Amino acid sequence: MHLNLNQEVRKGKRSKCNGNVIEVKELAKLFGNKTALKNVNFEVQKGETIGFLGPSGSGKTTTIKILTAQLQATAGEAKVFGQPVQKLKDPSYMKRIGILTDNSGLYERLSIYDNLALYCDLYGVEKERIDEVLESVNLIRDKKKAVQKLSKGMKQRVTLGRAILHKPDLLFLDEPTSALDPVNMKHIHAGLKQLNTQGTTIFLTTHDMQEAEDLCDRVAFLNNGEIVMFDTPQNVRAQQENTSISLLLKGNRTVTVDKDEDGAKEIYQHMKDGQILTIHSNEPTLGDVFVELTGRNL
Amino acid sequence: MQFSLKRVNAIFIKDWKDLQRNSYVIFTLAIPLLFAALLGRMGEGNGVFSTLPINLSLVIAGAFIQAAMVAEEKEKNTLRGLLLSPANTVEIFVGKSALSAIMTVLVIIESIFLSEFKVPSPLLFIISVLLGLVFYIAVGTILGLLSRTVMETSIIGMPVLVVFGMGSMFKTMLENEFLLKVITYLPNEQLDMIWAGLANGENLSGIFENILILLVWVVLSVIATIIIYKRRRID
Repeated sequence: MHLNLNQEVRKGKRSKCNGNVIEVKELAKLFGNKTALKNVNFEVQKGETIGFLGPSGSGKTTTIKILTAQLQATAGEAKVFGQPVQKLKDPSYMKRIGILTDNSGLYERLSIYDNLALYCDLYGVEKERIDEVLESVNLIRDKKKAVQKLSKGMKQRVTLGRAILHKPDLLFLDEPTSALDPVNMKHIHAGLKQLNTQGTTIFLTTHDMQEAEDLCDRVAFLNNGEIVMFDTPQNVRAQQENTSISLLLKGNRTVTVDKDEDGAKEIYQHMKDGQILTIHSNEPTLGDVFVELTGRNL
Repeated sequence: MQFSLKRVNAIFIKDWKDLQRNSYVIFTLAIPLLFAALLGRMGEGNGVFSTLPINLSLVIAGAFIQAAMVAEEKEKNTLRGLLLSPANTVEIFVGKSALSAIMTVLVIIESIFLSEFKVPSPLLFIISVLLGLVFYIAVGTILGLLSRTVMETSIIGMPVLVVFGMGSMFKTMLENEFLLKVITYLPNEQLDMIWAGLANGENLSGIFENILILLVWVVLSVIATIIIYKRRRID
């Protein structure tokens, strides 16, 4: 039921979309002889949350770097807000974009507050926004601490706070929760969902299947620089047929049965004997589908 | 291209707050002052080495501090954040240079007092120092952009310190005519000639050629800085 409601919300959001925020055609990137991206094509609509999933070296960060004009593509076309990415340096565009990359740095000797205050001035945002952002990344009580005294996870939350300080129309997040504990990850996810409902389009890369499932309207599987699948998490999972059901029986025994006539008979028999404690349909995870498609683990 | 003083000021304020907690920079700023105090105690006044503290202030406070600040932005990946913000190249360049420039001017003023150097023709002296300042800060920015770490600026910057800071001192040790000719065109040599000329009562026309050569160094260094800066914007 929860899943269906989620799907309805997402459908509703998609129907409100008007125009592509990102358009990528035949994108390719070579580093020397090594192919980092090839033949990458996709579009991201306004208000969507898109997840790029893939193992290290699959091209996720390269894609973000090209889309944020930190890298030049070898071939193909990449547009953000309808403009070629090379034009992004214009302040009017940069004010609409938030970026968190794997190596976003902070001024270590300055406090969290001073780090964000700099970006308030660069983006023309009132300083009152700093407290709002620190609340959303769960750092409000630490705002006077010097960054060099923070843990890796806290630093990651500061850089995330910096990326959302100016309420960007488009947010690029490269592994946004990779160093976070489950509590803070949940906190960040809630903040990102809220930003998304306020209209921010989110483009994120992650290794975390559950994160992709929780946040993304659509996910792309990237393998060796190519997109091998790009669809909603529900449609991606539907690629792999759900063939079995697990039963937890009294005595802590687990039995797995196929979804066929014999399986139904076995379930009926266990039910009749009053042995069944729980029944689970073994839904494939995004990770299962990825492994099946690419033969590689995430 | 829009130019926002607010963004320049934001970068300057950030650097100022950071400087107060940066012992490496504070210690480095003290070096030319120690040297000037030593010359002052020797009663050097306007003698042979009298301009050395000012040249050293320009090289150490101007070039080295600027190089360290830019290199640290690169080393800690904070320059990337600035480059991906609405701040444009000129704003970042001016904002990052402002603190080094102010600190260099303060160190030069203090050096003049400590070494008991008599400033000849203040207006022309100030103009020459400002031209030197722009040149050395541009060189510092280039060094910072070319270095991967703050430590590396000391290695890459050493030849700059030797050539531009103490080049004039080597003249007596050299016999090669070509090298001696090259040294006379160095910016520190131009500054020395300008200050010597002013001390001997020369006016603008007497030092015009030196000002012009210094101006060429300034223009070339700024162009080189902008080219390297733009290339470093993308990986």
